[in-house]
Amino acid sequence: MPLGALFEDAVRALGDAGLDVAPLREAGRRLVVEADGTTYITTRPSDVPTYVESGAADIGIVGRDVLLERSPDVYEMLDLRFGGCRMVYATPGGEDPTPAALEHLGVVRVATKYPATAAAHFTATGRQAEVVKVNGSVELAPLVGLAHGIVDLVATGRTLRENGLVEREEIFHSSARLIANRVSQTLKADDVDRLLERMAEKTS
Amino acid sequence: MSETPPAALPDGAKDVLAVEARELRAVESALRERFGRFGYREVMTPVLEFAEVIDRAQEGGLREAFRLFDDHGRVLVLRPDLTIPVARLVATRMADHPGPVRVFYLARAFRPPPAGRPRASEQRQAGVELVGANGPGADAEVLALLVESLRAAGLDGLRIGVADVSLTAAVLDGLGVEPDARAALGAALGARNLVEWRRLARAALSGPDAELLAGLPGRRGGAEALEEIAARVPAAGPACARLRAMLALVAEHGAGDAVVIDLGVLRDWPYYSGVVFEAYAPGVGEPIAMGGRYDGLAGRFGRSRPAVGFAVTLDLLHRALTGAEAGPAPPRDGLVLVGGLDDDPRGAAAARRRGLPVVALAASDGDRAERLAEADGWRFVARREGPGYSVLDRATGQRTSCARLEEALPSPA
Repeated sequence: MPLGALFEDAVRALGDAGLDVAPLREAGRRLVVEADGTTYITTRPSDVPTYVESGAADIGIVGRDVLLERSPDVYEMLDLRFGGCRMVYATPGGEDPTPAALEHLGVVRVATKYPATAAAHFTATGRQAEVVKVNGSVELAPLVGLAHGIVDLVATGRTLRENGLVEREEIFHSSARLIANRVSQTLKADDVDRLLERMAEKTS
Repeated sequence: MSETPPAALPDGAKDVLAVEARELRAVESALRERFGRFGYREVMTPVLEFAEVIDRAQEGGLREAFRLFDDHGRVLVLRPDLTIPVARLVATRMADHPGPVRVFYLARAFRPPPAGRPRASEQRQAGVELVGANGPGADAEVLALLVESLRAAGLDGLRIGVADVSLTAAVLDGLGVEPDARAALGAALGARNLVEWRRLARAALSGPDAELLAGLPGRRGGAEALEEIAARVPAAGPACARLRAMLALVAEHGAGDAVVIDLGVLRDWPYYSGVVFEAYAPGVGEPIAMGGRYDGLAGRFGRSRPAVGFAVTLDLLHRALTGAEAGPAPPRDGLVLVGGLDDDPRGAAAARRRGLPVVALAASDGDRAERLAEADGWRFVARREGPGYSVLDRATGQRTSCARLEEALPSPA
């Protein structure tokens, strides 16, 4: 289970699919919650694929943004259609500093929490970029001269606007995905398939 | 005073200490014994090979491997797997063998560890190759041998998922999927992205055909999983019939309960041409063994012959067997003899001739005998006492006196 923005929707989706999610709502700060027939592990979204890849969890719910950044060796089973957001490249308002940076410096400097995604986007578009990994408040970086722009996830765009940033390029759309461990997908095929079927009914 | 700097190992490298080494050897000998019962003979290939030869196994892109130069500037690799070197060995050194060739190996493969993932760069593998035999019988033998050898090693709850890349290709042919769409579908499957696979399937086709294709990687079960495919896509009929025949033969080998059809089983390497399979064990998050048929591989090195085989990753099998619940190892029959190095080598030698392991200590080291026995897991500690010995049995805590050391061993029942 991903902590943060996806958590509520994820609990609802599993509840709709017939899992016992009541203990999860009353979990408080506990990170491992036992319910009838299911053990829930709650963790940062970026760690969800790690737990599923290693088999510590059989299935997980996580945003597509994390999957594209981390490329974990897991099955991507289902688009759950909530947690919609977009990965974008944004720079301060006014004239886009990107072309000037590329012309004079040869590179554009980009701050992001998603270094693999940012590097892949600039490589794919034939531009050189220096990617600076930051862990929070990415919007700050171009305001104080750490970078020309940022690559980040936006839902409504409010944070960008409040910090005077303008979206310049859209990189991809993201939404929550159901992922499964390679082995669990076969050894616990009945359980995984049943859940998948019920969740697919709700999302289609 | 200068401190010794830490003696670190590269990422992905690890030492194997005595207890683990003994357990790994036990697993190896169980597998070796089963391979032998099916008439497979052991071969060994060098750790270093020419990169150009290993890279011939696949078009486009280099394999992940440790690469280095020899003294003439030629690029070498540490073998990244054993299937390719053994295919090379059979195609070149055994080209005039009448066939079928049955060989096995117990060897290490080397792969650079991916960043941030706890994977060993050096993997112990045990595998077999059956070369020069086509048809469902050969596939069934290799699957049955995999099941039998993993069970002989003590594995419970084994499950093997089987798919067939020629079947998947026949379905795509039969449904008339365009080459561009096939490439995209292949990439989605390689990334295990079933969301993308379904999207592409529905974009490429329409109606029931699209749903059949969208659901293809999710098909699992017995032979009945194949019947609908054969009925809906006549072009895939022969591949379905072949897979069904193979499953029936696996059942006759007595291994049918462990083997299921699972068309989601994928192989990233392009050299597979027929059946592909993965073995799963409870408690281990990745397949402990993989294999399949690669009829086109040998021809890239020499004599072209069909081939099928598998490789077991021993460290994963060992992890599945040991699990978290394994307690401390019980003491082994063996004896620490105080004075065995200097006062009484004759007594030590006599006991060793009788088959009792004797760990010799100097007479002046008597005060560390018990600690040594505990650290290395030996059951007995003996000291000279008059004309004979006083022997402590650490398993029972009892002390006995005896004239000769080997009397300490419990008499065989």
